[in-house]
Amino acid sequence: MESFRFCFLMLTIAILASPALSDLVLSKVDRRIYLTSHIVRISSTMKVENAGSEKESKVLLAFPEQQAKNMAYLIATPHEGKGKGKNPVVALPVEAANPKDMPAALTLYSVSLPKGLAEGDSFTFDVLAVFTHALRPIPEQITQADIQLVLYQDSAHYLSPYAVKVQSLSVKLPDSRIESYTKLENTKIHGSEIKYGPYENIPSFSYSPIAVHFESNLPFAVAHELVREIEISHWGNVQVTEHYKLIHGGAQSKGEFSRLDFQARPNVRGASAFRYLVANLPPRAHSVYYRDEIGNISTSHLRGDSKKTELLIEPRYPMFGGWRTAFTIGYGLPLQDFLFESDGKRFLNITFSSPMVELVIDALIVKVVLPEGSSDISVAAPFPVEQWQETKISHLDIDGRPVVVLKKTNVVPEHNQFFQVYYHFSQLSMLREPLMLISGFFFFFVACIVYMHADISISKSSASYLAKQQWEEVQAVIQQVQNIISRCLTTHDNLEASLRDLSRTGNIQACKAARKAADGLLKELSKELKPLLTFLQSSPSAAQVEELVAKERELQEKVMVKHSTVVDGYEKKLGARDIENRVALQQQKLTALRQEVDDLLEFIDEI
Amino acid sequence: MAPPAKAITSPVPDAWYPTLAVFMLAIGLVLTASFFIYEATSSKRNRSLAKELTTGGGFGSLFLLLSAGVYV
Repeated sequence: MESFRFCFLMLTIAILASPALSDLVLSKVDRRIYLTSHIVRISSTMKVENAGSEKESKVLLAFPEQQAKNMAYLIATPHEGKGKGKNPVVALPVEAANPKDMPAALTLYSVSLPKGLAEGDSFTFDVLAVFTHALRPIPEQITQADIQLVLYQDSAHYLSPYAVKVQSLSVKLPDSRIESYTKLENTKIHGSEIKYGPYENIPSFSYSPIAVHFESNLPFAVAHELVREIEISHWGNVQVTEHYKLIHGGAQSKGEFSRLDFQARPNVRGASAFRYLVANLPPRAHSVYYRDEIGNISTSHLRGDSKKTELLIEPRYPMFGGWRTAFTIGYGLPLQDFLFESDGKRFLNITFSSPMVELVIDALIVKVVLPEGSSDISVAAPFPVEQWQETKISHLDIDGRPVVVLKKTNVVPEHNQFFQVYYHFSQLSMLREPLMLISGFFFFFVACIVYMHADISISKSSASYLAKQQWEEVQAVIQQVQNIISRCLTTHDNLEASLRDLSRTGNIQACKAARKAADGLLKELSKELKPLLTFLQSSPSAAQVEELVAKERELQEKVMVKHSTVVDGYEKKLGARDIENRVALQQQKLTALRQEVDDLLEFIDEI
Repeated sequence: MAPPAKAITSPVPDAWYPTLAVFMLAIGLVLTASFFIYEATSSKRNRSLAKELTTGGGFGSLFLLLSAGVYV
């Protein structure tokens, strides 16, 4: 009904209006409509000729309003020709246009030609238009056993503000049943392709409606909402987390679902349902997970090669028309593939849309989380997006990390292009995280120290408290005494070492010098010891300490005597045997004494 | 066009994370243990030891987190 009204309107306009906007003429238009997916793609090759005298630089493209509502992506490129061009294709700038004397039911876009079109010149370019939700499921509700039929409506004549000399249209359908299609003149059907045309000398604004009703069992995966979070860590990882809310966008399923029928004969009972979804992740993706609110979903397969990592996921149940599911996919990517530095600024270069194959997204929200300490954030995207900033508090954060949020509606896989986020980050800010951990440990240790120092007893004059105080003082003094005695013992060891050196090198002077030094040191130590001993007189453990000190003095004397004997022996140039004999007895006593001193030290330690 | 972009990597090579984590944690734990022993046995405390310990423990735990996959 709508198409009839529209067609009538178009005819009226064609008759009444005489748009003399320009003298451009489309000499050849080849259109190919691909209905082999639930995303409709129309690819047109157009040759525009300037039949007038003025130089033209813009060509208008017209779309009927209902069609333009569903349009997700429009791109115009110069025609490549037969061979594959080596130069990268640069798109021609396309913008929405609103010329005055155009009918309101049309949406117009103007393509700027790279060089203006002079009189008589012609230019060939390709236009690709991508439409979502353009296939209408008729009947709108089917049971599990029915096949899914969809309807597509368009015009056999290319709707354009210019006259068209020669045009043809080819509609490519999936390899299934074709229920019906409009038969006009010059209509041929080859297998799953319907050809309309060629039509010659069609006036401008001519519209000839056609409708194709066919079976389509391709997965109608529509993501009602997708939130894609990209978190950058300068320690070497980009973490991408995607939250999907999927719907099957085809004919609604009515009646009951029989799992038995579905598993026994899936192609008969449930041909329009889909089980699998494929996502092409970037190469070297690691730590891939697939989970939903219940937990991990194990029905998935991952296969990686040097160009991409292919993830095949199977939701918990097959998706029939109108059914929904929600899940999360997350993966990590190496930092050096996506983060670069140029001109003092760092930028992230990553794909915008979902890695899933043939997925229509109604609302896509991309959140880029930059590390704390980033500033001067700006975004460069190849198509218009809505953007704003937020903050996210994550691991080891003080204020939170800046988040750039980009939103786009009606997204198709053609939008999966690279976009850049520029920001400024000083390398020193990377130390922020280890410093936080370090300060955490530091405060813990300081707290321990404070706790040990703090005096939290309530009564400061009770007997037990005072006794404890005294005991602590005594302990401190004993430890100091121990310290001094250990130092004395070290001096003895030094002397022994000097004797061994003497026996090796025969250097008597060095030995004597060592003796002198040892003497001096021991004198000092005994001086330090005196006040401590007087303090300890009063305490109960004085006895052992005094014993220790006395023994140590004995030891000291004996060591000195031995040392002098050995040095004398060397001076008098006696044989080694002789010296040993003289010293033998003393040596025995020395070792015994030394053992006793060590035992006492240990004993005092354990008080 | 801007000068060719240089890829940014982490200041410490990724492959070293687990090794570094183990070594620094070991050092940190040893120092922590000696700190506590010292505190428990002596009656006059030593303050500067605490500073040494914090660096050992801090970096060790950072590399432990990174090698476990928590990219902080």
